[in-house]
Amino acid sequence: MVVGLRDGLKRIGISVVCLCAVFVCTFMLNYYLDVAAVGAPSDVELYPLYTAQRMTARFTAAISGGVLGAIAIGMLLFYVKLFVDEHAAQLGALVAIGYSGGKLAARFWVFGACVAVGCALGFAGGWIAMPFVYEDMAIEGMRVTPTFHVELLFALVLAPAVALSALACLFAFLTLRRPVMQLLKGRPERIKTGGEVRKPSRGFLREMCLQTLKSRKSLAFFVAFACFCFAAMVQMGASMGELSPGMMATMILTIGVILAAVTMQLTGKALLKANAKNIAVMKAFGYSLPQCALGVLGGYVPFALLGFGVGTVYQFGLLKLMVNVIFADVGNIPTYRFDVPIFFITLAAFVVCFASVMAFYCFKISKISIRRIMTE
Amino acid sequence: MLKAEHICKNYNGTAVLKDVSLTVPDGAFVVILGASGSGKSTLLSVLSGLETPDSGTVDYNGQCVSAMNERERTAFRKREVGFIFQQYYLLSHLSVENNVRLGADLAGNRDYRAVIEAVGLGNKLRHKPSQLSGGEQQRTCIARALAKNAGLLFLDEPTGALDEQTGREVLDYIAKLQAARGFGLIMVTHNGNIADMAETVVSMNSGRIVDVRHNATRKSAYQIGW
Repeated sequence: MVVGLRDGLKRIGISVVCLCAVFVCTFMLNYYLDVAAVGAPSDVELYPLYTAQRMTARFTAAISGGVLGAIAIGMLLFYVKLFVDEHAAQLGALVAIGYSGGKLAARFWVFGACVAVGCALGFAGGWIAMPFVYEDMAIEGMRVTPTFHVELLFALVLAPAVALSALACLFAFLTLRRPVMQLLKGRPERIKTGGEVRKPSRGFLREMCLQTLKSRKSLAFFVAFACFCFAAMVQMGASMGELSPGMMATMILTIGVILAAVTMQLTGKALLKANAKNIAVMKAFGYSLPQCALGVLGGYVPFALLGFGVGTVYQFGLLKLMVNVIFADVGNIPTYRFDVPIFFITLAAFVVCFASVMAFYCFKISKISIRRIMTE
Repeated sequence: MLKAEHICKNYNGTAVLKDVSLTVPDGAFVVILGASGSGKSTLLSVLSGLETPDSGTVDYNGQCVSAMNERERTAFRKREVGFIFQQYYLLSHLSVENNVRLGADLAGNRDYRAVIEAVGLGNKLRHKPSQLSGGEQQRTCIARALAKNAGLLFLDEPTGALDEQTGREVLDYIAKLQAARGFGLIMVTHNGNIADMAETVVSMNSGRIVDVRHNATRKSAYQIGW
């Protein structure tokens, strides 16, 4: 069959996003349940902190679980669509010889395998980090110890794996619902008609940037998301030192860098794979490596900057909300202001990382040759 | 003039080109004939600067292509050569016009629409490759190479994916445009009939040139067998 378990397990991007989401949710929700089980402190002065810590746990789990869960779903759908597009001819041949769309779509349950792996690792990781998190969030006079909650195992590992497997099958079924000839020969494109054909004012490379972007619109979202993660979580991790020192800040920063790196890798790999022939032809005709890289990746730069900007605003808003609303009644909480030095350091790191990514893909492009493409 | 001397090329220990020497005068139409695996496509890659030989030299109008590094060869290809491939390799998400501009922009050629008109695709500027027939795709490929104003065109089995009628049309376009513009043509093919269109026919076998002949008269695309 066209879809094998290995195809599902190879979707590392989804696994990493699920891992990060479940990792955070595991210790946060476990803490929430354990603190609730202990009950509210009798000391009235400690009550605001107790409430704030519970709200923090619930809020953090909801934000990271919700956002990363949505991203994992987006990635899953993207991968299913990409897989169907790349294997349309083989899938079309199977439909032509009598396989039903439903039967083929059912094989896409394997895409849930990467979700299961990511969630299981995240759950295990959450348990490893749990003692340190409990220490960070300790409330004076209250003894909270980690307790295993089976419902969390179900909600954070089993349910997402099953639900996303089912979603992959459903989406594959919908994606495969096209005439068999379209699967075999590709979707006919609409021919633009009418109006005088004027000479385009843009040069070839700009046109290439725009058309590559148009042909892979969904990747713009992932580029923006990668840069959003980098900006938001690095700045948040670095600037929350006074609010929540130690483990938590380090974890947020690390998760941000991992998510950004994995998402950028997914995007770059997909773009290079889809454009390998185009790059080979451009190289044969005499376009330089930076020109090839610009033609393929250049259209996504504005989305990277947009992601960085939104991420910066988001982390500021989130921390401000935490301090001014959730911890409003807790004493000794320092005033939070936008950290300008951290912003510029993060921006500099972002520029360096983005330039490194571009250089890496220039190197990858240098390995693409017309001869290899011709012999494929 | 393109001059290759004592070219040797190995892939994974297998000798693909063995002491190949060849001279192509400016504006000549040369056909390299040979069966699959004879080394003709590798020779084309080496002559065009896509690859470097393991030994031997390739010289084009005083520029030693074989001694150039990757960046210099890129600049050489940008300046001097164009390609037409059997599988077209058009950029699928770009229109005919923008595919042709891939070549035109490199040469700063703003008159590329005239080239598209010349290959008979003036009414299909906005079409994507998937909306064109095989012959039209190959003509787009020709326009892309011509719009570059290259002095030397390399063609790798340009009619290999076309039926006889379309193949003849494409060859006719190429031959007429070559006669009008005077660029050099080096065409690799396994179709012996096409050789009758060229001035010089180079036959290859097992990585060696086994015969070089010069046609006293050149036939048109509609006079050759198929």
